[in-house]
Amino acid sequence: MESSAPVATSFAAETVGLTKRYPLTWKRKVLVALDHLDLQVRPGEVFGLIGPNGSGKSTTLKLLLGLIVPSDGEARIFGLPPDSLDARRRVGFLPENPYFYGFLNGDETLRFYGKLCGVAGPKLDQRIEELIDLVGLQNGRERPLRSYSKGMLQRIGLAQALIHDPDLLFLDEPTAGVDPLGSAQIRDLILRLKKMGKTVIFSSHLLEQVQEVADRVAIFSLGKKVLEGSLESLLTENQSTQINIPAELSAEQQQRLLAALAQAGIDGGGGKVRFTRPHLSLEQLYLRTVQAQADLASKNPSRK
Amino acid sequence: MISSLHRIITISRNTLTEAVRQKVLNVLLIFSLVLVGSSVVVSQLATPGLDSSGLFDAQIKFVKDFGCGAIGLFGFFIALLSTAQLIPQELHNRTIYTILAKPVRRSEFLLGKFFGVVLLLALCVALMSLAFAATLYWQEMRGIQAAEAAYNQTPNWQANPFVVNAYNHDVAQIVQQVRDPQLIEAVILIFAKLVMTTGIALLISTFATSSIFTIVTTFMIYLIGHMESTAREFWLASGAGSSIWQSALVGFISLLIPDMNSFTIVDEILAGNRVPWSHALNLLGYADVYLIVLLGVSVVIFDYREI
Amino acid sequence: MEIPASQMSTCLPLSWRLRRAALVALLLGLWAPCKIVWEQRIAHEQDLLRYHGAPMTRQLRDELGQGLTIGVLSGMRSVVADLVWLNVTTAWMDQEWFRMGGYINLCTALQPRAPVFWDMGGWQLAWNASIAATQDRTQPNELRRLKASRFWLDRGLEIFKRGIENNPTYWRLWNDTAQLYQQRLKDYRTAATYYQQASEQPNAPVYLERFPAIMYGLAGDDQASYAAWRALWERLTPQEREMKQHWKEKIETNIRRLEQKLSVPKEKRVFPN
Repeated sequence: MESSAPVATSFAAETVGLTKRYPLTWKRKVLVALDHLDLQVRPGEVFGLIGPNGSGKSTTLKLLLGLIVPSDGEARIFGLPPDSLDARRRVGFLPENPYFYGFLNGDETLRFYGKLCGVAGPKLDQRIEELIDLVGLQNGRERPLRSYSKGMLQRIGLAQALIHDPDLLFLDEPTAGVDPLGSAQIRDLILRLKKMGKTVIFSSHLLEQVQEVADRVAIFSLGKKVLEGSLESLLTENQSTQINIPAELSAEQQQRLLAALAQAGIDGGGGKVRFTRPHLSLEQLYLRTVQAQADLASKNPSRK
Repeated sequence: MISSLHRIITISRNTLTEAVRQKVLNVLLIFSLVLVGSSVVVSQLATPGLDSSGLFDAQIKFVKDFGCGAIGLFGFFIALLSTAQLIPQELHNRTIYTILAKPVRRSEFLLGKFFGVVLLLALCVALMSLAFAATLYWQEMRGIQAAEAAYNQTPNWQANPFVVNAYNHDVAQIVQQVRDPQLIEAVILIFAKLVMTTGIALLISTFATSSIFTIVTTFMIYLIGHMESTAREFWLASGAGSSIWQSALVGFISLLIPDMNSFTIVDEILAGNRVPWSHALNLLGYADVYLIVLLGVSVVIFDYREI
Repeated sequence: MEIPASQMSTCLPLSWRLRRAALVALLLGLWAPCKIVWEQRIAHEQDLLRYHGAPMTRQLRDELGQGLTIGVLSGMRSVVADLVWLNVTTAWMDQEWFRMGGYINLCTALQPRAPVFWDMGGWQLAWNASIAATQDRTQPNELRRLKASRFWLDRGLEIFKRGIENNPTYWRLWNDTAQLYQQRLKDYRTAATYYQQASEQPNAPVYLERFPAIMYGLAGDDQASYAAWRALWERLTPQEREMKQHWKEKIETNIRRLEQKLSVPKEKRVFPN
């Protein structure tokens, strides 16, 4: 397809003018699924792709994985063409809906994909044990995948993506349809992978989750990348400061604070300075409650 | 090279496992075993209560024809149905994405799936052949029993050396027809024909959009293949006489469609005629090279297919 | 976003599509002529070995019907022939001889190299049909019955002889023809020649080699009979002549008897004493 000589580069994944067009013969039109994408992902980054359905996120992932061929432009994984074996040896992929064989059980699934990645023998056995522990699938390893819940499928998906210890991970909607506890575990896993020096590129609809893990994001719309940058720079509202006070203030205390601010040269009148109560996110409340219940149950096992 | 082979083998074994764990296949297999066994019943239908020493020849012909016919027929269905849904199922379930995201070449994937079906076919043909051998053996026992019963009608025939000689000859004929080593040749040729059918189905499925299309097209090619020899003779012999369209059609068939009819020499083996191994090897060589071409074209088409 | 169809050709790189087409054309183009040559060689070998049944003509298709025609076209020619043969048995049980004859012709046309069809077909006609005709009360008189009987015998004989043409090494066909000449037609000389041929085919029973000599005797031709017995004796190796075996005694007995009867001079006898 493209030249297979590696290009010297410092990027884990890179696209230059990457375009994908699909013919819609019945409508006599051409769909531009991705329009001249320029993207650079540095090694060790967690990069989020966000955008509405049909905005080109999945297409980008598939092009970077070498599953489809670009109409224009090129993509590189560690300087290599994405469809080369060398590139794919360093890449792991968790697909959106679980694209696995239902007739295999957990162990067999990992063994199958491990062998395809070139991991074999006792090293494969060891790796399978490690990953089953990591994703917490001890109960399900003997059962066929068709009997797995969505959460279990995501976990086995992560395990098979990691079976050959890749440097770059593609996660397509990793927490879609997973309960908040499972989501939190996946989020923790992503952070752990980052600490190990791995690069993660993932797409998601769940914006709050993206916010929690990503270093940089790109926002897609109608096949184009509209915005890109680090979360820090994109989300920080300039021209304002937030102070957290661990106490409820009465109206009188609020007035005194305003006066103090006025003395410091900050004009707080007319509602420019707002006093609000910080909110937990629903997810944080849920996790706190569920975790507390679990802790209680483990301390008093007779109380069931 | 070795790692490539390992990947192909891994995918083959997975394909075989998938097929074996499917209930439909088990039903087909049991049905085929029953059919092979029932060939004995049919042979009885053909020769009810008749009295002739050549009777066993007729009976054994029926058993051989129906037994091998069952192997060929069911093998054909298994080959066709298994291969037709190989690619569409992977595409529909999207399992192909997970595999191709791994360091696996598309050609390795395709060949792995193909050899998985070939392994399945080999397993099925082996099982059906065992059933066939069992029915043959049973027929041998019955034949010898019938011969004894016929001779026992003459009291004290064992004392007459001429009659004993005739009896031994009859039994020898029975055994020779049942334990014909050429039957192995026949089964191998049947298997080769099935593998060719699998190759054709694979090629069609690399560009087909549905399993039904693959099944129907492969079946049509299979039928036309039995008339290819006639078409080829016609095409090679015809000069300026025939129309351009006729010539083109017949030429197309001759150049691309395999000659399936050449495999009907299996009928000759079953009828008891000698088919030398040299000829069988010639046919097998043809089938092998044809298969390599089919696989080559399949790999090219699949490599360039949008998934 | 959608753009007009004029851009459709840009969806896949041109080099890609060209490469795909070129590779497929190359593979098929290289193979096609080799294929034709190889197939011709195989067909030639099969012709030499005299395989193949009748080609699928319109007449054959009509006689078989649609289902069985597909069966033949899918390479199940022998199974189709066997299924058609079941009709022969049915026709025999219904005593419909012309119908039976028709089915026999069909089976032998489908698989001329299956000796069984000729063997059993000829037997059905020359024996079952023929003998049943002698007991056919629907015929006005004995002469008619005999004529009908002879008609079916001739049909059977024809089948045997055509069977021999197609399967010259199947001993039973020669044997059955000989039996017809011997038992029904009382033509012992012709029977002798057919028994001789039968005895020379592979897998023929050993006792057949004595039959020609016996037939010549039945025909009253002692010279020919003596010659045949003598030829048998001379074929034996010295060890075989020493070993005690019943059928050798038969040969010896007959030679002695004929040498006596024909007054063969002592120096020319096989058994002078």
